[in-house]
Amino acid sequence: MEVFQNLAAGFGAAATPWNLLFCLFGCLIGTLIGVLPGIGPIATIAMLLPITFGLDPLGALIMLAGIYYGAQYGGSTTAILMRLPGESSSVVTCIDGYQMALKGRAGSALAIAAGGSFFAGCVATVLIAAFAPILASFAEQFRSPEYFALMLFGLVAAVVLANGSVIKAVGMVILGLLFGLTGTESQSGMVRYTFGVPELYDGIDFVPLAMGLFGFAEIMTNLDRKEGARVLAAKIGSLLPTREELHRSMPAVLRGTTMGSLLGILPGGGAVMSSFAAYTLEKKLSKRPQEFGHGAVEGVAGPESANNAGAQTSFIPLLTLGIPSTPVMAIMVGAMTIQGIAPGTAIITDRPDLFWGMIASMWLGNLMLVIINLPMIGIWVRLLQVPYRLMFPCILVMCCVGAYSISSSTFLVTLMAGFALLGYVFAKLGCEAAPFLLGFVLGPLMEENFRRSMVLSFGDPSIFVVRPISATILVATLGLVLLIVLPQFRKTRDVAFQE
Amino acid sequence: MIRVKNPQDFWAGLLFIAFGAAALWFGRDFPVGTAMKMGPGYLPLYLSWGVVGIGAFVTLRALAIEGPAVEPSRIRPQVFILLAIVVFGLMIERFGLAPAVAVIALIASFASYEMKIIESLVLAAGLAAASILLFIYLLAQSMDPWAWNI
Repeated sequence: MEVFQNLAAGFGAAATPWNLLFCLFGCLIGTLIGVLPGIGPIATIAMLLPITFGLDPLGALIMLAGIYYGAQYGGSTTAILMRLPGESSSVVTCIDGYQMALKGRAGSALAIAAGGSFFAGCVATVLIAAFAPILASFAEQFRSPEYFALMLFGLVAAVVLANGSVIKAVGMVILGLLFGLTGTESQSGMVRYTFGVPELYDGIDFVPLAMGLFGFAEIMTNLDRKEGARVLAAKIGSLLPTREELHRSMPAVLRGTTMGSLLGILPGGGAVMSSFAAYTLEKKLSKRPQEFGHGAVEGVAGPESANNAGAQTSFIPLLTLGIPSTPVMAIMVGAMTIQGIAPGTAIITDRPDLFWGMIASMWLGNLMLVIINLPMIGIWVRLLQVPYRLMFPCILVMCCVGAYSISSSTFLVTLMAGFALLGYVFAKLGCEAAPFLLGFVLGPLMEENFRRSMVLSFGDPSIFVVRPISATILVATLGLVLLIVLPQFRKTRDVAFQE
Repeated sequence: MIRVKNPQDFWAGLLFIAFGAAALWFGRDFPVGTAMKMGPGYLPLYLSWGVVGIGAFVTLRALAIEGPAVEPSRIRPQVFILLAIVVFGLMIERFGLAPAVAVIALIASFASYEMKIIESLVLAAGLAAASILLFIYLLAQSMDPWAWNI
């Protein structure tokens, strides 16, 4: 089996002492920010981008990926012990996890969450190893029309799956696309929207934008609320689940893993969506739906497995097609570009060490995370007691120095202040920044691919529907649009987000 | 008198319109071309009109359908956070990394209503030392730990 040979080589690349260290570092940071409410993986990865300058590409990607799936583990801790989502993908875990904690089963809930996540992580790793190469070889037939159609699909999916108002999400995508067009236009060489600022000729730099919109806007909205000491709900208690809890959570873990793996691959899916969908599914299937909301163990096992599976399989579109399907993946594109790697089908053939090394590191990382999270749980709980007034100046300093170090430009720092204000206003007005970020990353790519398609077809727009693959994707996109319009679906979507 | 029933959407819509209008104004000289042969102004034009249209729809809808109010802002945290970023940009090349970090950490801590001055001073000093260690020694960034270029 070629897959096993490749995986073995991947383990060889990932298991060097330095790469193991980067993996551990990423997992530790991920767990930390997962545990701490008020700082998410998007802001953190953006914050650490400048640090990855000096690393080799594999080490950098291993570390950044570790942060993302590590956050899925850490998020459950805060959700269960404090009824605060440490991460947006743990929102649903708050419901039943906290109730379990009140009943003195906090330890068991934590163990099931970590165990389920580990199982999901292993399955997702195998899935990526098995299917990504197939998908990538399939994608080699893709030309600009297919890429354009796929990106359109991704943007529409991001809108459908965004939390809150659909029409505002569409507005945010378009606004993001517009911001993405800033800089020199590739064909004519004309500069657009730069206002004579030379730093903008290559487009708006990704790092200050992401730090401002996500990192700073988060700090600013947090400071709008009243701070207060965080209180633990209950003692952690024994980490061992009872036989009945195990028996009930096992099928939930399986279902959650399946759900998360599937949704993660879809553009716009990812960890958050997966956890919501898994919770709804568990509640629907359960013989005891009345127990949900009062400490049903399935309500922890399902979503926690799903979010980790979704976090990992969302790497598939990025690694095979080079298309970021979620905001976190959009940041990973930024990280790859910094390292001089073009995300896309060529990664697997040109840089097999990188691709397989990253996959192997995911499995190693999951193993580390179980250890980091269960026996060391006490340390993370103590970190939770660090007051926010000491935390946010540290984040602020990291962001400022990081943004400056990218190109030693004070302009980028000022630009970041602008995006901080913009992100804060967005948050206040209920506008999601995630679709904006996707639009921003995909804007120039879409323009480029649309133009190339037109060159390919000598200006005939029917090229998008004549080619079978692009036509299929466009039909699927249309289906998604219809879904939004249908009142029935809107209702279920609203219900899903309310829960 | 028309009553705004959904303040969040009302202002969000106006924000969309403002951005779209600005993009139209500053992009007015870009050659548009046709869909077959897109000029650099093609996408900006249609995207701008798109965002203006959505903004108008969201704003008008906010007059008809009830929705959430904008949560009140506290001025102090926002001013100090933004001030800290701007001051960093002004200080980093003139005074170097350590002074800039210490000063902005101190400014930022004023953003919290619960700040204690001694604690903030210690934090500022600690962050200045940590940033020299991390960015200059470990990551070998070309920054001066301190400088005097006024």
